[in-house]
Amino acid sequence: MSHETGALNPDLGRLQRWMQEVISHPGPVEEAIVSPVAEREIPGENLGDVVLPSASMTSVERIGVYHGMYLMRMAEALQTDYPVLRYRLGDEAFAELVADYVQRFPSRSYTLNRLGDHLPQFLSEEQDRPDSEFLHDLARLELAMTQVYDEVEAPILSAEQLEAVPPEAWERAVLRPIPAFRLLAFKHAVIPDLVAYHEDRPSPRPRRRATWAAIYRRDYSVLRLELSRAEHDLLKALAGGTPLGEALARAAQAQKTSRQRPQIFKWFRTWIAEGLFTAIEV
Amino acid sequence: MTENRWSFPDLGLGIGLRTTHYSHILRENPEIGFFEILTENYLDTGGRPLHILDQICERYRVVMHGVSMSIGSTDPVDFDYLAKVKALARRSGALWISDHVCWTGVLGRNTHDLLPLPYTEESLRHAVEKIKIVQDYLDRPLVLENPSTYLEFADSDMTEWEFIARMAEEADCGLLFDVNNVYVSAYNHGFDPVAYIDAMPGARVCQYHLAGHTNKGTHIIDTHNDHVLDPVWELFGHTIRAVGLRATLLEWDADIPPFEVVHQEVLKAGQWRSKEIADVA
Repeated sequence: MSHETGALNPDLGRLQRWMQEVISHPGPVEEAIVSPVAEREIPGENLGDVVLPSASMTSVERIGVYHGMYLMRMAEALQTDYPVLRYRLGDEAFAELVADYVQRFPSRSYTLNRLGDHLPQFLSEEQDRPDSEFLHDLARLELAMTQVYDEVEAPILSAEQLEAVPPEAWERAVLRPIPAFRLLAFKHAVIPDLVAYHEDRPSPRPRRRATWAAIYRRDYSVLRLELSRAEHDLLKALAGGTPLGEALARAAQAQKTSRQRPQIFKWFRTWIAEGLFTAIEV
Repeated sequence: MTENRWSFPDLGLGIGLRTTHYSHILRENPEIGFFEILTENYLDTGGRPLHILDQICERYRVVMHGVSMSIGSTDPVDFDYLAKVKALARRSGALWISDHVCWTGVLGRNTHDLLPLPYTEESLRHAVEKIKIVQDYLDRPLVLENPSTYLEFADSDMTEWEFIARMAEEADCGLLFDVNNVYVSAYNHGFDPVAYIDAMPGARVCQYHLAGHTNKGTHIIDTHNDHVLDPVWELFGHTIRAVGLRATLLEWDADIPPFEVVHQEVLKAGQWRSKEIADVA
């Protein structure tokens, strides 16, 4: 099957570099084939020597099929990981964000599940995007949720394990969090966006307010605990390996009144019951 | 009609395992010959997908189907990826591992599309060499699927079916014969799908794929979003006559309906299998 055209005979590597550049170009396909990077491999005017027309489509239209599907596929993957962000932005703005993002952070993995790993970083560097700081916080929340979804499963610290700790060892004991656990501090109130998405209500107006949350997995479901600053600080200390005695003493000191101190034990009980820890080391 | 070279069993009728059907399958235990899992969905997760997969593998026979091996890419073989594929095959007890005759990216990037190769001697040598490396590492034959394509390269100096048949022989690999892909590419490029089927080396074909597609008028896109169309069923019948019975899988990846609908669709393939075998007998 030899085609009677002025075939250009690019080697396989060159052909693949060219095609990848064309199909992942963010502009229309006509621009893509004459982009400087694509033309470095194959001049746009030679397209017909590389891609044959069909009975019903030109060479440009045929490469355009692949070009048209690229960004759709990227958007589909990112909206799986960032549904709340998409909900807030709307389809058009989200598609624009995706197009900009994958130019800077194209997939380098065999899985699309990791495509969105740099989105929070990208948003933090996109200061001229409206509400970029809020969107950065929202993306951090959603990235944490996808990470927690995929983390390895670990046994949960049981009541028996806790009871087995000798009283004199409690002060020096160190708790180990489950892998499927992320602790987050936000500059904005992003949880209301998550709630609005799940309840199919309009996204609320972005509000700058320090908020804290723990994202974790139990029975293969991703869950969240909204936290106060004091809860966050204590949980951060515990998850970071601070001995129990020291962490609790610090938390008690931070409480303004002795009446608030029993709260610490209530928090602690909640975290144990929610399965945030996998082990206690004495 | 032939047996396949490795005596991979005819698993009967199978369905591509999809997240939306997890709970139905675990609850109802539908009678199905096998499930095909999408390899990459289970490589980097320790969460629910793997938890479900373990339960599916206890109850059903499973084969693996990947989209990122990029066997035709001029990038080097990704052994980290292969190590994970091998580990998943061990965990799932997959009877075989398949991917596509395509490339997905170069320069370390992945477009996550199944991109076409020019059918040249250079591409053939390159693909054969990579398949051998992969097979050596996986310590089992690789099974590769004919792609659906939307363009043809001017450089191609052989047909797709010549390329695939030679590739399979020279690399000593298996073939996953996607009947819908043949129909799609035949429509898009104006070749005779029957000639394609008749050229397949039957002893290397280990599995069939069936799926729906979308006709855009000027071309067909392999969308896997609907029922299998009549001309594809006809080609499936011809394939059974030419090649024989093989594990037959229905793919439904977009606008996925309830499990029962997908199940009913794959049962039609069972009717074709029975009819063609009866005709031969």
